[in-house]
Amino acid sequence: MVTKTEETELSQLENQVENGGGGVWEYLCVVRKLKVRRSELVLKHGLSILNDPGKRSALGPDEWTLYEQVAIAAMDCQSLAVAQNCIKVLQKKFPESKRVGKLEALLLEAKGMWEEAEKAYSILLEDNPLDQVIHKRKVAMAKAQGKPSLAIEHLNKYLEVFMADHDAWRELAEIYVSLQMYKQAAFCYEELILSQPTLPLYHLAYAEVLYTIGGHENLIAARKYYASTIDLTGGKSTRALFGLCLCGSAIAQLSKGRNKEDKDMAAPELQSLAATALEKEYKQKAPAKLNLLSSALRSLKL
Amino acid sequence: MNLGFVIGVLGVLILSHAAYSTIQYRGLLKITEEEFTGPPLNVVVELIVGLALCMWAALTFPGKFLSIHPDSDENRAVSLPDNSDFMIFNHRGRLFPPEITMKF
Repeated sequence: MVTKTEETELSQLENQVENGGGGVWEYLCVVRKLKVRRSELVLKHGLSILNDPGKRSALGPDEWTLYEQVAIAAMDCQSLAVAQNCIKVLQKKFPESKRVGKLEALLLEAKGMWEEAEKAYSILLEDNPLDQVIHKRKVAMAKAQGKPSLAIEHLNKYLEVFMADHDAWRELAEIYVSLQMYKQAAFCYEELILSQPTLPLYHLAYAEVLYTIGGHENLIAARKYYASTIDLTGGKSTRALFGLCLCGSAIAQLSKGRNKEDKDMAAPELQSLAATALEKEYKQKAPAKLNLLSSALRSLKL
Repeated sequence: MNLGFVIGVLGVLILSHAAYSTIQYRGLLKITEEEFTGPPLNVVVELIVGLALCMWAALTFPGKFLSIHPDSDENRAVSLPDNSDFMIFNHRGRLFPPEITMKF
């Protein structure tokens, strides 16, 4: 996860690099560390280093990591010639390397030659049947070809072996949500929350899936998870505050016909507290829209 | 920062001087064959002064303390990393390759 300080550092470096202020290598290192996807900038500035033999040799052994990073960025921007050249250089330097083999298969994927890429991956898998990255690339290929059910099948098989991989759980959850299979997506988010309980973004996503499924118990659970998100973010998540208000009004509407069950001893206070917090935040950050917010909140309380 | 370092060194010197005085005092007591109940009052005062100086230096010398709250403004999770293991190249951006030159 990317923290606020890291994000500000990244955007600062980005501005500096874009306005010609140097610091290109630090920017590329930060991008690699945070695993963010800035392919155009990486391609442009990475090439500016690689085109200059003086700067290239100044990097020393990191030169090859840069070649790999630029190759992947080039594939993302569809500059396949650049990617091909980078891979050729890497091949000359490391002739029998599996890592370069993976890059070649990735290039076949980027070109859209799915069968050849499939074959290349199976050859690589023969040498090393437990290679996580290759299994994940098979899932990505299924996704890219527009076969989400095949991707789900591959991912499920992968997760049976590597249960602790939260990137894979996250990917599975997103594919399920895109296919509107919300119950399965909720299961995936539960796994994510179990493995990283302090990350508020997972709580938020789980609450949203529960709210989408609907129904009385799910709405109560969704409200609990919105509340835990607010707790973990110190009250700064506007989305969770809104979610809380909406859950409150949805529950109130559902239980209008029923009798006073566990009609939420917490409900009225929770909702009004969230509403107050929202109004305070809007007053601070977007005072022009405060009237809109107040009328919306008032209509929710019906 | 420099002041903190100097004061830290001073504090350590004062503490070691207090330790040396205590050892000397014990040697004196061995000559007069008395019980060693505790260091003399001036050594205790010196110890407290040394403690205060060292604590102040330890807090100021290392520089700015980082926040440990997970929801503080610096530490909060802004976004999750883009899942680059599952990255696909089949997106709309592939119709707009950038203009680049390469010389290798």
